[in-house]
This record gives sequence, structure tokens and C-alpha cells, in this order.
Amino acid sequence: MEPGDSTKQARAAAQLRKGVLEYCVLALMRDRPRYGVELLHALEDSGALATSQGTVYPLLSRLRRDDLVTTTWQESASGPPRRYYALTDSGRAALDEFARVWPGFRNTVDSFLTTPHPSTGDLA
Amino acid sequence: MKTPADPVRDYLAAVEREASALPADRRQELLADLAEHIEVTRAEHPDAATGEVLSELGDPRTIAATALAEAGNGATGGPARGSAGAPARRGKVHPLVPLLMLTLSLPFMMVFPDHPGPLFGVLFRITGAVLLCTSVHWIAVQKTTGVMLTAALPTAVIVTWNLSSGGPAGDTPALLANLAMLALVAGTAAWLWRVRRA
Repeated sequence: MEPGDSTKQARAAAQLRKGVLEYCVLALMRDRPRYGVELLHALEDSGALATSQGTVYPLLSRLRRDDLVTTTWQESASGPPRRYYALTDSGRAALDEFARVWPGFRNTVDSFLTTPHPSTGDLA
Repeated sequence: MKTPADPVRDYLAAVEREASALPADRRQELLADLAEHIEVTRAEHPDAATGEVLSELGDPRTIAATALAEAGNGATGGPARGSAGAPARRGKVHPLVPLLMLTLSLPFMMVFPDHPGPLFGVLFRITGAVLLCTSVHWIAVQKTTGVMLTAALPTAVIVTWNLSSGGPAGDTPALLANLAMLALVAGTAAWLWRVRRA
């Protein structure tokens, strides 16, 4: 293995994560509102989506500005109040749209990776 | 908190420094989010070392870079992005605007040859050339070619023509020359339209 291979792998994973992270964050809120630290723990437990925790907050901030999520403060039995993130209607719509597109996308990528791509003019 | 060296305060100060290019409200929001995260994490894991909490949160530079990327480019964003906090950007004029100004300046001068006509025509041409040069839709070599063929060359030819001949005897040749020039300008504009970047 050449030096730099692991960097390349890390970059491929980071690129993929960048594209899907916001939809996974939205998906985490599908059933109930979640607070920031809770979202980060869920991402961390997933493995592949684990990222530098602090970078998720700018993403949440954008989701809020884009009106895909709303936030409410809720008191907690332990410690400070938490800011809970919940899906808005347009957040739910964005998530549904992603869920609709994703299987086809995933299958297409899989088929590129598993079968040799036929070159043009090669057909009988 | 009473210790002279407060790692949390230092950490947040580092984020604030690295995120200085963010609009102030976004920066404050980011700092508030991070401060809340630290507080909640400490409450949930009272035995966790502060340094550990901070190192899991990540490098202040990375966080600031992510925040800048989220604030700056709306390309990946959802609906209704772009206006908030983004300064009016130069060169965002629709690509048709400079092309039409450059193309129409010549027929405008032909139709209104009397006094204010040529003045407006020249202003159109100059404005069009400036808009073309500051546009994001073309690369430098295309801009240079465009300005040479649609503004500089017609201006030079007209000035030369007016200085050397001028007078009623030249009407038909002048019209032909103007039409030829118009074809050149329109052709160049069409080419610029085709090669523009979206």
C-alpha cells in the first residue's frame, strides 16, 4: 500500500459524508425532536457518519435558516436547558424527497462498482 | 471557571478568532451553540475531562471553516438562500445585459445620428464593455476578444471614418460599413453568448 492511500480513503468518505449528512440529521428528527448533543451521539454511534462534532452546529444553523428545522428550548432534569431541533413541514418534505431518490442512487453506484461498464459500440 | 486559565473560554475565543470572516450574528450563534454543547456535555458526563470534551468538539479552525462554507455557498442549500448576509456580488449581472448593450449601441447610433444619439450609443458601449469585463460568465481571453471586436474596433473604425471622410458623398459606403460592423458585433455577441459559463 502506498503512502497516502489512507488519506485518499478518508477524503472519499468525507466527500460522501458531506453529501448525505444533512439528510441523516433530518432523519434522526423524524420521530421526535432531538437536542444537539443527542444528535451528535447518534452520528458518532453510526461510525461512518462520525465527524468532528463541532462541524455539525454550522449545519444545524443552516437547516434552521433554511426553515427545514425549528428549535425550542426545553428544561432538563439534569443540567442546563436543551435546544431541541424538530422537523418543519418543508424539512419533512426534503427528507421524503431524499428517501425517494436515494435507493435508485445507491443502486446506480453499486452497479457501476460491481459490473464492468460496457464501452460504447461494444454491443452485439 | 475561577481558574486563571479557562480552557473553555480559550477554545471559544479561538473559534471566534478563526470565524472572524463570518457575519457577527452567525458567529455569535455558532459560539452560543458550542457553549451550550459544552455545558450539556459536562452536565451529562460530570467526570469527563474538559480537554476531552473540547477535543471531541474538534479543531476550532475546522469548525470555523465549516461555518464559513455553510454561510457562503448556497449551492447545496435548500430553498430561499443567498440573500441573507451575502454581500451584493459583482459580476452577477445577467449575461445578456452586456451583450445587448454592446450590440445595440451601433444601430442606436445609426437610427439617432443627431446629437444625443451618439453620446448615448457611446455610453451604452462603455457600460457594456465594463459589464462584460466584470462578469463571471466569461474567462479573461473571451472578455478581451469580446471588448476588442464589439467595442474597440467599431469605435476605432467610426472615428477614423469620420476624421478621414465624412460628408454626404459617403452615405452609401457608410451604411454598408455600418452594416458590416453590425454583423461583426452581433456575431461576436452570439459567440460570447454560446461560450458563456452558467
